[in-house]
Amino acid sequence: MALTKKISLSEEELVRALKAKETIAIQALYDMYSGALLGVISRIILQPEVAEDLLQETFIKIWNSGESYDSSKGRLFTWMMNVARNLSIDKLRSKDFRNSVKNQDIENNVDFIDAQKKVTFNADLLGLREMVTALKPEFTKVLELVYFKGYTHIEAAEELALPLGTVKTRIRMAIMELRKHFN
Amino acid sequence: MEETAAYIESGTLELYVLGLLSPAEEEEVERMSAKYPDVRQEITAIELAMEHYAKANAIEPAIGLEDKIFSAIGTPSTFIEPTPQATIIPLNQTNHSRKVRTLQYALVACIALLLVSTAALYSAHSRLDDAQNQIAQLSTQRDKFAANASFIEQKNIELHQIADMVANPSWSIVKLAGTGATPNSKMMVYWNRDERSVLLDNSKMNLPANDTEHQYQLWALVNGKPVDLGVFDMKTDREHILLKMKEIPMAQAFAVTLEKRGGSPVPTMSAMAVIGNVTI
Repeated sequence: MALTKKISLSEEELVRALKAKETIAIQALYDMYSGALLGVISRIILQPEVAEDLLQETFIKIWNSGESYDSSKGRLFTWMMNVARNLSIDKLRSKDFRNSVKNQDIENNVDFIDAQKKVTFNADLLGLREMVTALKPEFTKVLELVYFKGYTHIEAAEELALPLGTVKTRIRMAIMELRKHFN
Repeated sequence: MEETAAYIESGTLELYVLGLLSPAEEEEVERMSAKYPDVRQEITAIELAMEHYAKANAIEPAIGLEDKIFSAIGTPSTFIEPTPQATIIPLNQTNHSRKVRTLQYALVACIALLLVSTAALYSAHSRLDDAQNQIAQLSTQRDKFAANASFIEQKNIELHQIADMVANPSWSIVKLAGTGATPNSKMMVYWNRDERSVLLDNSKMNLPANDTEHQYQLWALVNGKPVDLGVFDMKTDREHILLKMKEIPMAQAFAVTLEKRGGSPVPTMSAMAVIGNVTI
């Protein structure tokens, strides 16, 4: 497995193969994006087993609804990222997940709900705060809420007691910093 | 563009990429994106930033998850067969067969070109043959016309000469008429007293045709004696109208007898064909 060659295809070729339900599409998508997608999922769902189950669900959904992807609306990764995010957020909000977390709480004597509520990162992840050094913490806080915690911008505005316009501006500024960093 | 600048600044596009907008709001963004290239560009830039960020924070899934996913989807796993290679090979084969197909098309085109060229060459060759035949024909015709022209020219000169004789007093035109044996025979002799020359007019000669054993002989009667002026044949297709005979300074009459080929020293009076006196 570790010896097999990773497949990498151009975006157009990927989209075409995915829509045609060619096996190579899902293999290439897995080789190219499984790590990035698991990274996104792991920010929302902290339990590695659950996160990997969600990654599996994400790929199954990508495979089954590849036809509904419209390249005029955005890049393929954005679409996949939002599939992963939506599945993760749905999971986060589902009753059985909350119950399992509660059970874990009792067992491990750790307040997972509080952990979930707080913005915490895996230690080996590149944090927004480190990356967006030029911005005050409250700017990145907004992006953290919507990007990692599954808050909508409206919920984030309520949580932070900020006007909606301010939340939008702060998300934009945080992403502008990311753009600077990666360009 | 101020309208799009404000729209971009609003932060709506970021929410769109994060999937936080309502379907109605999403539609609005898509409409703007289709209409304004800078909106579209901005969305792509945001997407790429999020993509880079996600890749920078990638977490490698546990080994074996891939196979779980592939078996769930129902595609062959990389463990069962070397799928990455197996799937890459078909792509290469596609390229290969595309190349082969291209070469096949090229070969067909070459053969078609060869056939067309051969046909064109053959057609050109046969037309060249035709042209050469025509040239040969025309050349023959031209030679014929040239010969004809020189013949006519020669005759013309001689006809002028005859016409001039009438006006020139030096020339005597002697009409020779048929005798007992051949009453219908006749011929003309032109004699120039000053130049002594004697010419026969072929065009006005009407004698019975002579055989190969015999020839006609022209005589001048000078003071009652016959003088030989040469032999000739009765022929209708002569190139010249005028036939030059031996010269004579004076004569009273001219006569023609049929003699053995080459002529006789004395005329055979019984074989006289025509005779005529010189009028002064």
